[in-house]
Amino acid sequence: MTVKHIYMIALIAALILSGCGAGAGNTDTSAQQDAAASQTAGAQADNADSGLLRGALNADITTMDVHKTSNDYMVPMNIYDTLFTIRKKDDGSTEIVNSLAESYDLSDDGKTYHFTLRDGVVFSDGTPLTAKDVKFTFERILTLPDSAQTDYAIPIDGAQDLLDGKADSLKGITVEDDHNFSITLSEPYAGFLASLATPSASIYSEKIVTEAGDDFGVLPEKTLGTGPYIVTEWTRGSGLKFEYNPRYWGEEPSVKRVELSIMEPQAMNMAFQKGDLDILDCLLIDSAIVKSIYKTDAYKDHIVSIDRMGTNFFMMNENVEPLNNVQVRKAIQMAIDRESILQSIYDGDGQLEDGIYPTGCLVYNKENQGWLKYDPEGAKKLLTDAGYGDGFDMEICLDTSNTDAVQNTVQVIAQNLNDIGIRANIRSVDHASYLDLRNSGDMSSYLALWLLDFNDPDNIIYTFFGNKDNTKTRSNNYADDAVIARVTAAKTIVDETERNKEYAALEKKLVQDDAVWVPMFSLKHLFVISDRVAEFTPHWAGWSDFYFAQTELK
Amino acid sequence: MKGLAGRIIGVIVVLIGVVALIFVMLRIIPGDPASVLLNEHVSQANIDRLTRTMGLDRSLPEQFFGYLAGVLHGDFGRSYYIQQPVSNLIMEALPFTIKLTLLSIAFAWTFGIISGVASAMYNEHIIDYLFRGAALLGISVPVFMVALLLQYIFYFRLSIFPLTYDGSFASLILPAIALGWNSAGSIARLMRSELMEELDAPYMDTAKAKGLSYRKAVLVHALRNAALPVISLMALQLSGMLSGAVITESIFSIPGLGKLALTALQTRDMPLLQGTVLFTAFLIALGNICADLINTLLNPRLRTG
Repeated sequence: MTVKHIYMIALIAALILSGCGAGAGNTDTSAQQDAAASQTAGAQADNADSGLLRGALNADITTMDVHKTSNDYMVPMNIYDTLFTIRKKDDGSTEIVNSLAESYDLSDDGKTYHFTLRDGVVFSDGTPLTAKDVKFTFERILTLPDSAQTDYAIPIDGAQDLLDGKADSLKGITVEDDHNFSITLSEPYAGFLASLATPSASIYSEKIVTEAGDDFGVLPEKTLGTGPYIVTEWTRGSGLKFEYNPRYWGEEPSVKRVELSIMEPQAMNMAFQKGDLDILDCLLIDSAIVKSIYKTDAYKDHIVSIDRMGTNFFMMNENVEPLNNVQVRKAIQMAIDRESILQSIYDGDGQLEDGIYPTGCLVYNKENQGWLKYDPEGAKKLLTDAGYGDGFDMEICLDTSNTDAVQNTVQVIAQNLNDIGIRANIRSVDHASYLDLRNSGDMSSYLALWLLDFNDPDNIIYTFFGNKDNTKTRSNNYADDAVIARVTAAKTIVDETERNKEYAALEKKLVQDDAVWVPMFSLKHLFVISDRVAEFTPHWAGWSDFYFAQTELK
Repeated sequence: MKGLAGRIIGVIVVLIGVVALIFVMLRIIPGDPASVLLNEHVSQANIDRLTRTMGLDRSLPEQFFGYLAGVLHGDFGRSYYIQQPVSNLIMEALPFTIKLTLLSIAFAWTFGIISGVASAMYNEHIIDYLFRGAALLGISVPVFMVALLLQYIFYFRLSIFPLTYDGSFASLILPAIALGWNSAGSIARLMRSELMEELDAPYMDTAKAKGLSYRKAVLVHALRNAALPVISLMALQLSGMLSGAVITESIFSIPGLGKLALTALQTRDMPLLQGTVLFTAFLIALGNICADLINTLLNPRLRTG
């Protein structure tokens, strides 16, 4: 008791003294600092030996069961495997690589895929992986009452019936033996293999999931996959710990243990500079800090940058007067100074995008680029011609959970619009309200980003313009039903030339002719790595989540 | 004891009111849990399916009375987002919040009383100015600011304490100071002014006249009289601590009740938010009853009233 008391008083004294001294300088505390520095150095030496990687998350995950979340992929990516994975090649393009699937072939009608599973794969408790597990996985996605991943199973024949409760099993998947199975789609779908390569399509074990019941995804010891890591500890609100899975079928990774801590942005920055973090995600901290501290010579060799495969866009709601006028929307496209936003807010870390599919996306077409120029005078003229010479009031909705850079971009957009006479007001709401408002179809305009889940044009164009419901939930209310039908139909085109042509034509029609949105830019995603990391490979599409096994420690 | 029974009935009425209020408020503010769960990967069909799964397609009175009936049977429902029984989640989080609160009370009381007494005894002395300055900072600087400052000084510059909570006792000290800082400031100021008043009282002259040293006179006689209002304040501050814990727990990544409630609000996780708010209201009501009891015990003048 008395020891604690003395400790407390010493603490108070230290607090007051250092509080007073903080402004005056820190020379008087150098002795303490030296003592402390040697302690930290000791701690670092311990870590270096053990293959430990330390990262940070800005918020806790909700579940480790990827069927129940479309937000938290960090755990699923590292503890489960998918049939295929995506690898980024040196030229920036992506390729689909076998993972749990050893080989596949596709029938002539483009609908039936036959797969052979890799031999000798076991889950981390020793349960062998069989083709039955694959069928179980897709049936679970469709029958789970709170499933968040049904989109990934819907293309399979009979999936809609299972989802609606009209069938008890998934007709489209036929298990031939332990290693062979086939998947039949209701229609040909060129993006299907790529969609199997996302964490959403992680393969589960029927035995493990059934035995775990409600604990699957909640208790680490019951949430097992075939992936390179096992979660050993999950303290809700505090962090996660991982260890290498000795039964993993692939090569043994350099990283043996991982600790992810949940931190506020300021804490991440302090922890990284102090040597207590190995990977710092620059998107999670203040952009001014990134610029002043990390984009300097001192960290030049520690920055890892990847092009995010995602389009930032400014959406305009066609149900809102006068955004229903195509001339007005075209004027807004011309009024926004995208280049100066990219330079001043994002420090030039990105490139302008003039279409729907971001750079690097399959079917990306150079001919649909370079047409949109910043032209406030032209924009004013368009507005006058459309009968809005005196301008009008409009609302831009801003999700306050966004990074400061996004918030600043919205400010500049509002200013750009004010310059041509449009009185733009920013309405700031929290994330949940933002989603609700957008899904209701009533949001006037907003700035957002779509990062590809898998490299296929359908992943972005269908999301926004694929059917009437989607145009409502994305608050664009695009009115041309013929174009919407073409977007849906484009999914099923198998011939590559024809497919490229149709997707390019749709992009031109939507963005250039109908001005559905203002295409903004795609950005780079920066990470800073510590001295302990030899090589860090971010996710191919530039997500914040990454594969631990692709990181090499020194 | 008749008063106590009345108080308990009052608490039950308040708790039912709290449930009704939070229930209605959560349904008035925009944002629905199905949208948050689906986030960017949303489709109308999925929203409708999840809304049905969560029972949000039922009428409001049906939902409310269903919930109330559950609560009376000790069933607080399941979290939409974390998909666990709410009572489990609260019980998991509670020990962290209790540890944090107890430690920060210990800090606030020790620091507040010592500095208040020292200020009063050494009035207009350098010690007085130092402690008064610290106390003023305490009541005027917001919790998150204190927390950041503490992290900067004791983690970043001096490497004495861990940055965030890691399960160790040492990692709870900074959060406890951050959370208790504000209360310590108010206690110190009240302690000082109350004690100053007592120092001028005639009985102090008597005490000195009978040969007690100044220090002893202050600590034995004046402090006892000055302590009453301070103790009332300290009891009332308990509820303030619970609300401050929301911010402190977030900054220091402590998986406590405050952090749970904040996540629940951000994700519109209605059963979880209802559960945490109800439970916190219960704790505060309990704290206030205890404060009253302590006051009555310490102050005989209140006993007949």
